[in-house]
Amino acid sequence: MTTTVPASKIAGLVFGALLIATLPIWAGDQYQLHLAALIAVYWILIAGLNLVVGFTGQLSIGHVGLLSIGAYGFAILAGKAGWSPYAAMLASGALGGVCGLLLGLPSLRLPGFYFAMATMAFAMIVNELVMANPDLTGGGVGLPGPLFPAPFGTPTGFYYLVAGMAALVTWLTWNIARRMWGRAFISIRDNPVAAQAVGVPVLRAKLAAFVFSGVSAGVAGAVFASLQSYITPDTFVFELSLFFFVCIIIGGRGSLIGPLIGTAALTALPELVAPLAKLGNLFYGVLLLLVVLVVPEGIGRVFEIVGERLRPREVHREPVSPDLPRLARALKERA
Amino acid sequence: MNARSEVQAFDAADYAGAAVPSGAAAPSGAAAGTRPAQLRAVQVTKNFGGLNALDNVSLDLRPGEVHGLIGPNGSGKTTLLNLLSGYYQPTSGAIRLGEDDLSAAPVQHRARAGIARTFQKPRLLPMLSVLENAVLGAWPHARSGFLATTFALPWVRREDQALLAQATELLHGVGLGHVLNRRANLLDHAEQRFLEIARGLAMRPRFILLDEPAGGLTPQEIEHLANVVRTLRDSGIGVLLVEHHTDFVFRVCDRVTTLNVGRMIRHGLPDEVRLDPEVIRVYLGA
Repeated sequence: MTTTVPASKIAGLVFGALLIATLPIWAGDQYQLHLAALIAVYWILIAGLNLVVGFTGQLSIGHVGLLSIGAYGFAILAGKAGWSPYAAMLASGALGGVCGLLLGLPSLRLPGFYFAMATMAFAMIVNELVMANPDLTGGGVGLPGPLFPAPFGTPTGFYYLVAGMAALVTWLTWNIARRMWGRAFISIRDNPVAAQAVGVPVLRAKLAAFVFSGVSAGVAGAVFASLQSYITPDTFVFELSLFFFVCIIIGGRGSLIGPLIGTAALTALPELVAPLAKLGNLFYGVLLLLVVLVVPEGIGRVFEIVGERLRPREVHREPVSPDLPRLARALKERA
Repeated sequence: MNARSEVQAFDAADYAGAAVPSGAAAPSGAAAGTRPAQLRAVQVTKNFGGLNALDNVSLDLRPGEVHGLIGPNGSGKTTLLNLLSGYYQPTSGAIRLGEDDLSAAPVQHRARAGIARTFQKPRLLPMLSVLENAVLGAWPHARSGFLATTFALPWVRREDQALLAQATELLHGVGLGHVLNRRANLLDHAEQRFLEIARGLAMRPRFILLDEPAGGLTPQEIEHLANVVRTLRDSGIGVLLVEHHTDFVFRVCDRVTTLNVGRMIRHGLPDEVRLDPEVIRVYLGA
């Protein structure tokens, strides 16, 4: 099933790509373009986090810490130190990866709840360290986030830069998700005993996913700093971490398109629909509650359920009848 | 970055270990030489707190044989299987594969050494398809590192295709060819059991340990299972059968070991065991 991509999916993909590529033309104003860029920036982080939360089932709620590290790394290197923004962005990614490794190495051994607590503590520590080192980070005053040079210096140019990066990260995670590593991740999430039985190195696999998410969070932090043009510790509130987490849970675990829709919807809806903006966190809370109670598999599952209603799939039973010569042949070929 | 290269190096190192030919007639003894390696429990004892689950039990599983393990509930069958597959470590005694001492080796290491197992209650990934569940078993043979996979390098794609093709053949072989793309949580009980066997076979094991594979199957499905087990044996795999369906055990096994309250009470050919007065008394009944 992973070998061929159905035509309907390809059509959807092409349509989506066209939509994203032409967005600056049909977007109503600069603010909507800013919003689209923000979705792309968030998605760069969430796509990586999705491997950790959605596939491997490790409930990290501390990725705002990694985002913050990437953002401050970028602001310091590209601003104070005068590096090229591209080099600074790569350095932010590397920094995020290293921090992900240092955080994951001890904490990924912990069972679910304690891992979540460890990541939360990490996010808090990062914010405290930022406050405690005003010479480096500007403390409570913050730092400016430098712009990228032309052709990415304008809002439209910057939008294309982050949209391209988001597409790249999506492609990378898609490659992982549909091959052995993705299956190994899901086995850790759904049945760790089975994962061990087939030889999946559980801690190493978790760590691989976590370091990847660290790199993507670091890179996201760099473009986030540039997009916001000014960062302070208040930018990286803990609610942001929960927001990333909620996007994935609402979108659906073990899917790429679900969390992508979740990210876009949760970022845009409160901004575009004024009454929702007033409700703020209440909106997220109610939505999360609804999803967890009604469709724990995420909103992607709603489409599936509707599809099954419209076109009931008949599961036709057939007795299991082994094809022994074929089995013998398959066993012989294995060496 | 560091972690990824570590992961890749790790994969490559595994492979050196797992690449020992595991074919039928081929002398697969890792270091032993001419005699094919056996999987042995050597005088193992396992205590859980004060409970003595296994007491000084020995068992050897040879390539190309079906070895039955029977006994009443609580006699230690599953404990022994968990010792062989690494979920428990023996309190005393040793688990050996050929000359290698596996007693302290983790579960993952045994998978790479060629020991596969199934579970009493099938442990599948409910949201993945039958094919993807089966191909997960090929993990010990997947050499693609994480970083290479992120960029879908050509050889990563080729390898994934090859592993999927192999799993497809195995699934057709065990009789699940008609449900390759069905999600595992939609399978009926028998299909789940056969899928677990296919996943174990995708590991290209030297030994496969089946924990009550006939549980909940119809007589006809048990017959199919017996045929599959014989086919595995004929291809050189050593099969350990932990089972309560004694007719089935005596029909397909080459040797049978009987346990009772943690002790071995009889070991031998099926007919010897079946007619042993002690076995009849504690387990089979008159």
